[in-house]
Amino acid sequence: MGAELITVSCDTHFTHLAWHTVEKELRDVKFKMGSDKTGELARSFGVYIEDAGLALRGTYLIAPDGKLLFSEVNFLNVGRNIDELMRKFKAALYVSKKDEGIPSGWNEEGDLTLKPSAKMVGKVHEALANDGNPA
Amino acid sequence: MTETIQVGTEVPDFTLNTYEPETGDFGSISLSDLKSSGKWTILFFYPADFTFV
Repeated sequence: MGAELITVSCDTHFTHLAWHTVEKELRDVKFKMGSDKTGELARSFGVYIEDAGLALRGTYLIAPDGKLLFSEVNFLNVGRNIDELMRKFKAALYVSKKDEGIPSGWNEEGDLTLKPSAKMVGKVHEALANDGNPA
Repeated sequence: MTETIQVGTEVPDFTLNTYEPETGDFGSISLSDLKSSGKWTILFFYPADFTFV
């Protein structure tokens, strides 16, 4: 889909190699593994834990023009759901091509979207129930 | 202390050394390269190697 997912931690790329080689769970994981040894990048996104030298579970989508489109940060002990990440990525991709809004229940292209307008104000409930028409 | 990057603003360029399982080799990747090839970038931070992701 024209996206590059980079996994990032504050380890060196040497440690990345060692971990990827040893841990069988990672056998089929082919994403590039970035090294943010100094924590500089994690710090710029606000996910560096200074006294531990670790990064929080932050997920960021950057558009081809460099704009940050969403961020999600979990504490250390809560893993992420790849389906939710893909849903948000597909939503961002979709609205980058069309001037529409993505409701919370949207899952993929073809699902109902909303076109913001004066008629929509206070009528989102009606629009969602009536194929996008607030009438 | 640098400002935290806000959603909706431009991410400053960065470069990371990488291990690339596809080739089994080291490399580096920068946001400016990804932008000039028209790619979307997903950054996926995790606490540390040898922990669960």
